[in-house]
Amino acid sequence: MKEEMQKVQLNLPATADFVDIVRLNLYGIASKMGFSYEDIEDMKVAISEACNNSVLYAYNHEDGLVGVTFEVSPEALIITVKDEGESFESYEKSDEGATLHGKELGEAPIGGLGFYLMQALMDDVSVVNESGRGTTVTLTRKLTRSEEKV
Amino acid sequence: MNTNKSEKFTTATQMDNRTCTVFLNGELDLSVAPDFRQVMEPLVENGDLDLILNLKDLKYIDSTGIGILLSILKVRHGMNAQFYVREVPAQIQKLFDMTGIAKFFASQENSQ
Repeated sequence: MKEEMQKVQLNLPATADFVDIVRLNLYGIASKMGFSYEDIEDMKVAISEACNNSVLYAYNHEDGLVGVTFEVSPEALIITVKDEGESFESYEKSDEGATLHGKELGEAPIGGLGFYLMQALMDDVSVVNESGRGTTVTLTRKLTRSEEKV
Repeated sequence: MNTNKSEKFTTATQMDNRTCTVFLNGELDLSVAPDFRQVMEPLVENGDLDLILNLKDLKYIDSTGIGILLSILKVRHGMNAQFYVREVPAQIQKLFDMTGIAKFFASQENSQ
């Protein structure tokens, strides 16, 4: 049988007020796929961080859109968050060094944790930034079947 | 367990003569970060009272919210004033541990 891949697409204004709508959709899709409560909570944080970056950095406070695509397959949920803005400044300097581990309170930077959280909470994260044409963040979470599969 | 509904973020503040406790309810994300900062600002600056955040009914926090907590930690530390979090839900504690902010809350507790 051919592998099934179904898509759900959302287009939202790139403002902070719509990020909760993305989380609500994620909840619906991921719970329907059979992800656990904890997995869904992890993905909620990761998808919100991707959207936050588009809201904060893509359009320089002008109107714009964020496109969120959920690709549903039997093995995984692949989420794409795409904007058509200028840049993703915050991503350039965020890596594991962005966490507060091993830092004193006085030297702990505010911000830069978003990308780290995405990486820590998802199985795979990729960021493609085409200058002047926007940024696409792809988040993948594999569906691990629970033992009491029916 | 009702996670399929987005809950509007609200706060409730309770004061006595030694402590100020702020109860957070709902989802603390980018959209409500300015409101939260505004609520906290005068409370953070009052060094006479221990400041406590009760997170029992906090359903969600993002890196923006964690950033605000970190800046409160810095200010309170600089003033030599106490700042604690209480009743942290497991999912939120996980994020505190992952980001590393947890150790700053712990060291506040230990210095009591």
